[in-house]
Amino acid sequence: MTWPQSIFTIRPLDFLLILLMNLTALPLMLIWTAVGIFLFPVLFLILKVATRWNAEQITRRLIWVYGRGWLATMLPFIRSELIARKQHKIKPPCIYVANHLSFFDIYCLAVLPSFNVSIAIRNWPFKMYWYAPFMHMAGYLNIEKMSWKKFSQSAAQILSKGGALLFFPEGHRSRDGQLQRFYSGAFRLAAETGFKIVPLCIQGTDEVLPPGRWWLKPAKVTIKAIDPVYPKSYTAPHDHRLIRKNVKQMMIRSLSEMDLNKRMGNANEPRSVWGS
Amino acid sequence: MTDQQIIDLINTSLEEEFELEAEDMQPEALLFEDLELDSLDIVDLVVVLERAFQFKIREEDSIQDIRTLGDIHRFVINKKRSLTSDKT
Repeated sequence: MTWPQSIFTIRPLDFLLILLMNLTALPLMLIWTAVGIFLFPVLFLILKVATRWNAEQITRRLIWVYGRGWLATMLPFIRSELIARKQHKIKPPCIYVANHLSFFDIYCLAVLPSFNVSIAIRNWPFKMYWYAPFMHMAGYLNIEKMSWKKFSQSAAQILSKGGALLFFPEGHRSRDGQLQRFYSGAFRLAAETGFKIVPLCIQGTDEVLPPGRWWLKPAKVTIKAIDPVYPKSYTAPHDHRLIRKNVKQMMIRSLSEMDLNKRMGNANEPRSVWGS
Repeated sequence: MTDQQIIDLINTSLEEEFELEAEDMQPEALLFEDLELDSLDIVDLVVVLERAFQFKIREEDSIQDIRTLGDIHRFVINKKRSLTSDKT
């Protein structure tokens, strides 16, 4: 995968589109974020009274709505779609593992069919003070600051209540578009709890905003959910390593197919379950 | 378990856990700089060693001094010896 490193390498028409995107989409995103922050307490209270959801579920629902709203504001510039063979198979409770290409990966994951998703992340995203309170309220897990015992207990609780846990097993964004080394957390958790893993292959967000670039570029974003991996079919000790290896191989294969389909000008892919 | 068996078990466990190459598993290899492990891996490292050798190490003060693969070898060998002498 490649992306233009300089804005000066782009054709004039594309340059105008990029300019339009950066002049409109970024301010819209800021406005949408500000609106979300101010409306959150009101909507939280309404949902608290009107539903039986707990604070974490309400916050996750509102974050999901925020993500979908973000996708809507980007609609003229980012076409996003989720590809899944059988939608019911990728619904929580489950452990989502996704490749990581861009800061916007997390926003694009609003295409997932469920709102009840907590995220296992490193320490630095909690330093974004405008998002941090919502991340805490939604029960996002700081994998860098928790002991494994505490982390796995909290994660198991989320999964047993019917939620999902999302990991980026590479730990940080890929600089060359290729999958990097996988950390073990998601796979050890699957081996310990028995909950299925749903691998998610993200393509195109590195065209929108790769690491090291500060301007946005229109692109098509595709998220392909591979059929789940069930840890119960692995029986030997330390099977999390085998699960990790198999999931990574599946993702490498799937990302190569997606890349090939894209270069061939598109796809005999399975049906899209949600698209914009 | 001989010292060499302990070293081999540590090396194979870390190779599998962290997708490392066998030729990189040199005693002088620095964990962060040479093997490119990071703070997240240290959590996994502790779990891997505890499971491989069936003892608790997270409360040990000397774990703070570990910098190289050789430090891990020495730490585990010494820990095994102290546990064996405690039993006898």
